[in-house]
Amino acid sequence: MLKYLLKRFARSLFTLFLILTIVFILVRQMPIEGYFSNFDKMTETQIQNGLEQMGLTQPMWKQLLNFYTRLLHGDLGTSRVYYRGKPVWDILRTKLPLSVQLGSLAILFSMLVGLPMGTLMAKYKGRFPDQLGTVFIVLIQAVPAAVYYLFIQLYGTELLSIKLRFDEGNWISWILPVFSLSLGNIAYYAMWLRRYMVDESNKDYVTLARIKGAGEGRIMFRHIFRNAFVPMAQYLPTSFLNTVIGSIYIESIWSIKGMGGLLVDVIHKQDNEMILGIVLIFSCVGILGLMLGDLLMTLFDPRISFTKKAGEV
Amino acid sequence: MSKVILSVRNLHVRFSLRGRTLHALRGVSLDVYDGESIAIVGESGSGKSVLNKNFIGLLDKNGEIPEGSIRYYGMGDKMRHYSAAGQDENGDYIDLAQLRKNVDWLRIRGSEICMIPQDPMTSLNPLKTVGWQIAEALTLHRGMKGKMAHEEVIRLLEDVRIDDPERRARQYPHELSGGMRQRVVIAIAIACNPRVLICDEPTTALDVTIQAQVLDLLRDIKKKYSLTVIFITHDLGVVANIADRVAVMYAGDIVELGLVDEIFFDPRHPYTWALLSSLPQLGVKGEELYAIRGTPPNLFQEITGDAYAARNPHALVIDKRELPPYFDVSPTHRARTWLLDPRAPKVEPPKAISKLKELGGVSRG
Repeated sequence: MLKYLLKRFARSLFTLFLILTIVFILVRQMPIEGYFSNFDKMTETQIQNGLEQMGLTQPMWKQLLNFYTRLLHGDLGTSRVYYRGKPVWDILRTKLPLSVQLGSLAILFSMLVGLPMGTLMAKYKGRFPDQLGTVFIVLIQAVPAAVYYLFIQLYGTELLSIKLRFDEGNWISWILPVFSLSLGNIAYYAMWLRRYMVDESNKDYVTLARIKGAGEGRIMFRHIFRNAFVPMAQYLPTSFLNTVIGSIYIESIWSIKGMGGLLVDVIHKQDNEMILGIVLIFSCVGILGLMLGDLLMTLFDPRISFTKKAGEV
Repeated sequence: MSKVILSVRNLHVRFSLRGRTLHALRGVSLDVYDGESIAIVGESGSGKSVLNKNFIGLLDKNGEIPEGSIRYYGMGDKMRHYSAAGQDENGDYIDLAQLRKNVDWLRIRGSEICMIPQDPMTSLNPLKTVGWQIAEALTLHRGMKGKMAHEEVIRLLEDVRIDDPERRARQYPHELSGGMRQRVVIAIAIACNPRVLICDEPTTALDVTIQAQVLDLLRDIKKKYSLTVIFITHDLGVVANIADRVAVMYAGDIVELGLVDEIFFDPRHPYTWALLSSLPQLGVKGEELYAIRGTPPNLFQEITGDAYAARNPHALVIDKRELPPYFDVSPTHRARTWLLDPRAPKVEPPKAISKLKELGGVSRG
């Protein structure tokens, strides 16, 4: 187990290196006009000086070497445009926790609602609760999120009589953004759990449980649920990541100072150090997510093991 | 013979499939006696599994019972929970054919009538330990929990002859071989403490050496727990090995019923003849094995007369017109064929049947 984790960790580091290098090189392929606000009026020498100052005239391998040397010393560099002169890590440090909190709450809420919903839909397959749930899922997936986000903001704030602007210190103002952010995941979890549970409920072990004289509720919760949850467990960490990154729109309509739209913003501004800093964090979370997903699966399913091959005793 | 425990009377089962009606059982009648082991044989689609699913209320959702009853006489104290109860010459009964609600079945499944499903490889929950799955039955039916349940689990695993039960109880199904999983399924069944045990082709999925062991085990379990056992099988070897009586099913009806010796050595129905003739053990080297010609009748259509008539080389004119009644051959042996009518021409059973008689002593071991 430990050996496997170490191996996996080494591989993750390599993946991280690949991602960062590729992004590093790609970023430097962007047109140089983007680095200057008054490019048209600048002379050739001014441009050259500017580029030199940014270290962009050095050969690529040297730039990369510098970047990794800094990184290994724990320095992500400083922002050039987004917040001029401020270390990248300091900027991200204030934004990251907010997004993570928002994302975690949304995921938690999605699971609390989505999983029971999927279970109920599977239990009453083809009947009213199932049909109601299907309508909800189709609506959420068919209607562009922007539409219902705005609806929730407009009518929700009125209902709770709160301001349109997010206020971190006031817990009431967390409700609507978290709720909005959850809707997509609720539909997603409910849909897949229902599907997996319906699949499972046709299996032979369910028949045996029935023959044993177990009631339907017991069969649903003690036998089917866990089996259906295994394939979902793997995706939970990834869906968490997607929620954190994917909250661009929510964060912008509620003016939440999170990570949501940050990446797009800094790419637009060609703030190289910021781009790499954010990519680094997202990649780490992503890789960690996949690893956690696999770990979760081994936790739930005794047949999956890191050290043994299936079937071995 | 002993008391009747289960009595099927004129049972019809229909399935609706895409607007059409399939007549899966066409008036089956059968008495099962307390403590016996009866085998139900027949080819695929003859209705043997459908018949047995009725006994535990697991008929598929599109199935219905338009006619007939299944009287179960073993309910005892639990009778008072049921409205579909009655009394006849065999004693107090409840009619399983009338039970619709799942709660009604929960008092019967497992504790009264239990079943060993066909495929042990897929019948156990892959995410629960073997011990947990046996203990669940103990909790449900005998109110056992914790240490008491665990001790009983170990005892049951020993009963089904699993070595090192303490370790096995903590293992998951994927860590066990097919034969061991089948033993665990048997342990689960007896943990429920049923009176009637249905074995749905219990050895089909196992390899031959394990088959014999499992059959042996079933025989011992039956004796130890004084069970009534119903075997569903198309393996006549299993039948000869373990059954007291045999019911031969064809196209949703029982065509012949008798003690195992009567069916093997004095069969009367042409379908039973054909079935026995196709035993590979009776083949002569160099000759082709016997096979029944044609296909079973389409159960979507109304069948008039004897369902086997179309494939029967000895069919009489009346076979195609009218359903034969049961003719008694002996008090324990009856067959549904016009050939037994006194007016019918004398037809000799095929040669293979007399050969079977000669081989009899050997094959019955």
